[in-house]
Amino acid sequence: MDEPVKIRDLFAGRKQPAPGVFLLRVPAALTVAIVFLALSGTVLAQTPAGAIASELGQFPPLVPPPKAYVLPAPAVRTLANGLKVVVIERHDLPLVTLRMVVKAGAEADPPDAPGTAQLVTALLNQGTAHRSAEQIAKAIDRAGGDIDTGADWDSSYASLSVLSNHTATAFDLLSDIMLHPSFAPAEIERKRRQTLSALEVAYQDPGYLADTAFDDLAFSGTPYGHPQDGTMESVRRLDSADLKSFHSRYYRPGNSILAAVGDITPEEAFALAERFFGNWEPKNVGGATPATSSPAVATRIVAIDKPDAVQTQIRVGDAGIPRASGDYYALTVANQILGGAAANRLFSALRTRRGLTYGASSELNCYQSAGSWEAKSFTRTPETFKTLKVILDQRRELYDHSITENELATAQSYLIGHLALEFEASDSVAEQVLDLMVRGLPLDYWNTFPAKIRALTVQDVQAAIRRHLDPEHPFIVLVGNISEFKKDLKKLGAARIIPIASVDFGSANLERPLKPADKP
Amino acid sequence: MWPSVNFLLALALLAAGRALLAAPVTLPSTAIRSLKLANGLRALMVERHDIPVVSVEVWYHVGSKNEQPGKTGFAHLFEHLMFDGTRTVGAEQFSSYIVRAGGEDNAYTTEDMTVFWETVPSTSLQQVLWLEADRMRNLDISKETLENEKKVVEEERRMRFDNQPYGSVVETLYHTAFTVHPYQRTAIGSMEDVEHATVDDVREFYDTHYVPNNATLLVVGDFEAAQCEDWIRKYFGPLERGTRPINREFPAEPRQTAERMVKLNLDVALPAFVEGFHMPADGTPDAYPLRLASKILSEGESSPIYRRLVYEKQIALDAESSGNFTEDPNLFFVFAVLNPGHSPAEGEGEVDSILAELRNKPVSEEELDEAKNQILRDYIQGRETVRCRGEELGYAAVILKDPNLVNTEPQRFLDVTPEDIQRAARKYLVPQNMTLIEVYPRITGKSAAAQGRDASPRTTRAGNE
Repeated sequence: MDEPVKIRDLFAGRKQPAPGVFLLRVPAALTVAIVFLALSGTVLAQTPAGAIASELGQFPPLVPPPKAYVLPAPAVRTLANGLKVVVIERHDLPLVTLRMVVKAGAEADPPDAPGTAQLVTALLNQGTAHRSAEQIAKAIDRAGGDIDTGADWDSSYASLSVLSNHTATAFDLLSDIMLHPSFAPAEIERKRRQTLSALEVAYQDPGYLADTAFDDLAFSGTPYGHPQDGTMESVRRLDSADLKSFHSRYYRPGNSILAAVGDITPEEAFALAERFFGNWEPKNVGGATPATSSPAVATRIVAIDKPDAVQTQIRVGDAGIPRASGDYYALTVANQILGGAAANRLFSALRTRRGLTYGASSELNCYQSAGSWEAKSFTRTPETFKTLKVILDQRRELYDHSITENELATAQSYLIGHLALEFEASDSVAEQVLDLMVRGLPLDYWNTFPAKIRALTVQDVQAAIRRHLDPEHPFIVLVGNISEFKKDLKKLGAARIIPIASVDFGSANLERPLKPADKP
Repeated sequence: MWPSVNFLLALALLAAGRALLAAPVTLPSTAIRSLKLANGLRALMVERHDIPVVSVEVWYHVGSKNEQPGKTGFAHLFEHLMFDGTRTVGAEQFSSYIVRAGGEDNAYTTEDMTVFWETVPSTSLQQVLWLEADRMRNLDISKETLENEKKVVEEERRMRFDNQPYGSVVETLYHTAFTVHPYQRTAIGSMEDVEHATVDDVREFYDTHYVPNNATLLVVGDFEAAQCEDWIRKYFGPLERGTRPINREFPAEPRQTAERMVKLNLDVALPAFVEGFHMPADGTPDAYPLRLASKILSEGESSPIYRRLVYEKQIALDAESSGNFTEDPNLFFVFAVLNPGHSPAEGEGEVDSILAELRNKPVSEEELDEAKNQILRDYIQGRETVRCRGEELGYAAVILKDPNLVNTEPQRFLDVTPEDIQRAARKYLVPQNMTLIEVYPRITGKSAAAQGRDASPRTTRAGNE
């Protein structure tokens, strides 16, 4: 899901070329990235387009396959209280990154209180039993530190990077904020206000509205069918007791993992973990884990009316698969071909061939107990239905005719060759390793991944597409100026049209009655 | 050089009485290998073998500031065209090679430069060098691809500016703060100019700027330098040097003597403001205290702008200061998005008093040390990937004109004193040097959401765009 609009990107518009890239000097007034450059998927042979040879010779030189990159085996130890500690050494730069995950995220929000997990993480560094919010901020800033907390699906996290001469401070601070947050009412009020303001802005952002509406449809009736950041109504209502109850139920050593990556040895890390987390009590909160399903949504097609929009945001997709599904690898390949990270049919059809959009992609999201498979794009208002039709046709094409051998080979070689690129920065290494542990996957997962991808055939991929892509009845979300395409919209069938002012992601039909005097 | 940096940092920590707390960290130095071809191409190489990946970047020293009136947006439009095929490699094929190898590629355009980059498994280096050499001089620009890219660029403009809350604010700020220097225009340019671009226009732009003597090639990562140099000579060596003059004379912005202000009414949920102050170019002596000032003012939750506007008074949802440091003098700015019920004026009042403090008394050694630690951390995090290292090196070489600044520049930060920051604040962060843009949610029948949800803004005025 898109984060709410990042206002700082617009003002401090010195956009970075990519997340985490070149933090010191953010270069561009307008970082005009060509995202997802693509190939048509059918022509990959090294055939020159024109017959004129350049002074370079006619063809680019062929390349040997990538060197196999074997991720160093992390050191793992479990403390007596059940907390798992995992360490990956990298001594080339004087930086240590600690990242702790708790195996409960926004899916564990009580059904009537979306946003709980997120608000808990927002308050972790806003005061503890031992330190005020200001003392925590001061200690982090002094260490040249960088903190990030948040709730995803299936896990919540806090991540803290410091100069390696402040490593002990980092363990101390992380332990304090994870174990002893105070959830003081005054701090809750501050975060509540900020969250509500952020939602105000997000509810004007077509991308946020489209993503959130799509997830409400695709994850309807599962624990994932509500916005992670909550709704206006739930955020207004959450109080200290709600947050404390969530924290004491899920933030426990046996339900958590700590990763340390960077300029630190396993011995140092285990000793510091023992010192700062060893006393964390493995207390048991009574009772079964509560059920957390979101409300079931009856419609498959939603159009949100934003009369001032000049572009329409479009989402089309299906309920996908949970992470443990046997079709995971085959659908990963299929998604790569439809709208994956680099080479994709949607980009080629919508942008390269028709100039309908700047961006087109698809996402396969796989969580513990559910998933989604979603195509995303946007276009100028008058081309809304042309663009939607191209997306629907591309899905139909994939369903009817599957993929080519050439596309399969390209996708396989991309997915395998790309692995080494994902293990450069400490925080991404920590994230990858923790994700494996949260999902119960083996630590050598990435080392066996290439063989699993290589083993797939066109038939395997086709069979998985047939199981999980429904060309007749996809979920569709449009956010734009509906008056410009109302006639076409009617042809789609039973679309629910929602004025932007009455969008309510907490309600089963995504809408609340609009009253003129409606105030937050 | 490096030992002295550590020594200075140790001194700084001693001065703060914290030397026993933590020994200073060591920032490893970077060994740069340099190659200059007869046709003017410069190549800079840094080997790093821990992970089998390599970053290749080509920096063309052309950005939106080089554009002529009536031909704005060309640098960016051209960035798109560079992916549309050469006489040898068909449309879409460039990236298909990168993808098949498991790599990533992209490009971006700024006021000052256009950068093309690839990060690939190291065994692909030879192929990537070939591909970059090929599109440096063999681009095949057809009317069809040009017309298609114009439409794509227009969609990009709608996405980034026209359909984005607050999307027009940056354009308004630059249009108001600058009167003669080309930074007045943002890189996306005028859609009218882009629409009128002909194949001859873009061909001329290509022949002028996409030439070896206007390019810097960066290679960072897992490769063997002698082999890499052979490939560079073989593939880039035969390319012809460019002969057309490149526009490098830009009118200096006259000194601003009085505050400028624009009020905008936009379809946004919350009011906002941004203050821009003219400041000197990057790499000049005053750039360093100003960059540290932006850290002191707003980085981290203990910084005064966050503390006062977001945390204590809860006037703002988000507030930050930052400098757009570029090749020519640009803007230092402070912005805030306000919480419902608060006016821009309230936020501006707080920012005024924070800036006045910065002008009136030197910051504490402790605050300055924190900012220096944050800068060190930025350097370190900015060196974790080969691509970040390539970016850092390219910026030092092309914009700051000295590649070795990746080794020497940190010391410039460590040398800054509290008095330097005070002096810079007095010189630049003053009202007569400021352009203020205030943004108010528009009250119209069209956007019922903004109307229904918002506490009413102070006033409604006609927009000024």
